[in-house]
Amino acid sequence: MLLALIKKEFLALIRDVHGLAALFLMPAIFIIIMSLALKDVYSPSTKALPYAVENRDSGQLADNFLAEWKKRHGSPQANSASWKDEVRGGKLSYVLVIEKDFSRELAAAHPGSGKQLRLIAEPGLESSAFAANNAELIMIANELRARALLAAARMSQRSSQRPLRSGAPDESVPVSALAMIDTERLSAGSRPTAVQQNVPAWLVFGMFFVVASLANLFIQERQCGALTRLASLGVPTSVMIWSKALPYLAINGLQAALMLAVGVWLMPLLGGDALSLAGIHWGALMLVLLAVSMAAIGLALALASLVRTHAQASALGPIVNILMAAIGGVMVPKFIMPEVMQRLAEFSPMNWGLEGMLAVLLRGSDMTGVLIPAAKLTGFATIMIIIAVVFFRRRAS
Amino acid sequence: MLEIRDLSYCYPDAEKPSLTGVSLNAGRGQILGLLGPNGAGKTTLISHLSGILQVQHGAILIDGSPLAVVRRKAPTRIAVAPQEYAFYPMLTVKENLECFAAAGRLGGERKRRRIVECLAFSRLERFVKIRAERLSGGLKRRLNLAIALLPEPELILLDEPTVGVDPQSRAFLLDAVKMIANSGAAVIYTSHYMDEIEAIADRVVILDDGKVLRDGTLDELLRDGVAHMRLAVEGVPVGEMNALLGRFGKVESVGEEWRVTLAHDRTPAELLAAVEKLGGRLKYVEFGRNNLEQLFMALTHRPLRD
Repeated sequence: MLLALIKKEFLALIRDVHGLAALFLMPAIFIIIMSLALKDVYSPSTKALPYAVENRDSGQLADNFLAEWKKRHGSPQANSASWKDEVRGGKLSYVLVIEKDFSRELAAAHPGSGKQLRLIAEPGLESSAFAANNAELIMIANELRARALLAAARMSQRSSQRPLRSGAPDESVPVSALAMIDTERLSAGSRPTAVQQNVPAWLVFGMFFVVASLANLFIQERQCGALTRLASLGVPTSVMIWSKALPYLAINGLQAALMLAVGVWLMPLLGGDALSLAGIHWGALMLVLLAVSMAAIGLALALASLVRTHAQASALGPIVNILMAAIGGVMVPKFIMPEVMQRLAEFSPMNWGLEGMLAVLLRGSDMTGVLIPAAKLTGFATIMIIIAVVFFRRRAS
Repeated sequence: MLEIRDLSYCYPDAEKPSLTGVSLNAGRGQILGLLGPNGAGKTTLISHLSGILQVQHGAILIDGSPLAVVRRKAPTRIAVAPQEYAFYPMLTVKENLECFAAAGRLGGERKRRRIVECLAFSRLERFVKIRAERLSGGLKRRLNLAIALLPEPELILLDEPTVGVDPQSRAFLLDAVKMIANSGAAVIYTSHYMDEIEAIADRVVILDDGKVLRDGTLDELLRDGVAHMRLAVEGVPVGEMNALLGRFGKVESVGEEWRVTLAHDRTPAELLAAVEKLGGRLKYVEFGRNNLEQLFMALTHRPLRD
């Protein structure tokens, strides 16, 4: 009896193609994506972040510094006069500004109090990347300063024909270049905390989860004949589609309000950082949220029109969501992905939504700053809705 | 009211057409019983009438106008109560009625009145606040019917409306269908239950393999059927009895019973007289014609269809 029941279970499993896909294909794809995305976490890429250099110094040490930085971080982008806008908009992750006295001050026994080397980062740069760059900057500058001081000491020793003293350094000469270095983010009115980074990511992810819910309800209606009945009553396809889209737009709106409220009010009560909405452009936020919602609903409608059963919708909806999140920088921040995966991320609608949200919440972007992600999302939504209408009509006939 | 002329339809990639030259009529105040085994083409025909399928060949006319034109102008003149429970299980009875009334463009006072009337007609008043998913099979069928009746259609298609209900609900639904026809609507009623069709249909169409095999009133259909006699006789050896009955038609012996399908030129009286002349004593005798089920099986044959 047990064997017969086990056989039945295996047969049922083997014949459930979509269930099998969820069991085997999904983890396999997930392993591939996550391994590729996280590849550089354990061997950090030196070329991950786009940067530019503003070199105002013609000295040798400035060149040496830049050569070392280039070795570690790859070549800089071409510098333009509007680099501040590019950093503020997130096109450049940071800019290194080398002041005109950098080489002289770095080699001086007693440098002045002015900042000679500055790293100006984009508002949305993830904290660990910001800290790592800061530490590397100090390390390279210290090394260059130490070499310069040592070279100066040798030169002095040769000219005086006295042996170099050992074990009794000049205590008044600071070895560290820390005082010459300044790192900052371009101000956007909000602090880049974990909450500020996470709320947009998981809000976009959550908004796309209407896909499974909408698709399942749609299939239930189709299977029970309610949609056919509506069609026979003369209800146009466009009305049926809008009747689904509008409630889910409202649900997405509620989701957004709830998630933002959690960040603003609940997180501080739990001892975390608060999400700051101070100074953000509310119109831009609404535009991004609307575009994300339309993309999610469009995808849900297309999926519902393409699949035939609840099982297919239940399996495909979450799979598509999770894969889009994995590729799109929701589960793994895009900046730590290798370059190929970063390029791939740019094809994920969740990444467009995330970029739009980060632009508003971290970079303080206005409407013009979110037009590109909003346009991409709207375009995606339009294509999905066209697919939904075409397949809806084809299924009906 | 409804006139279907030479309707043919073939699904894309199908090997053979689902409908071939189907012609039939349904008049106001009449119930047209549509019979056919699975795969006969009933669903394709209903899909045409409910506007899901477009006419490929032939014509469907409503009061002389093409169906597509009528559906465009007033889609609610024709209603379908599908075999499935075509409503929202998570909504209450009243919420379902309100939803489909609005979908049928009913509004204001008319909407309110029709909901009350349909609730009363289907005797669902006590269940207005119950979610549809919690209704019994019979109540679900009644809700399915009530929704179809909301826009006061002139032609209503009922696709196996009594499947899975108890005898009481079945009797109620059959009475309700008669009342719908009596109120002036044309009704097309499909069912696999022959007794239902015999009980309520004014005309019967038997469809198989996409073609109309018979179309007529019940009397017309059964009049053409052959006469049967069943009798048991004592006092005559089996061999003699077989030879005697063989002169009157096709003979079959089941136990002590003889079943005779009378030839067209023979009468029961002649057969009985011949038995008596041979010295046989009749234990019992029955005479009758084909019923609808026998006719249906004779026309569509026995092989399973799916």
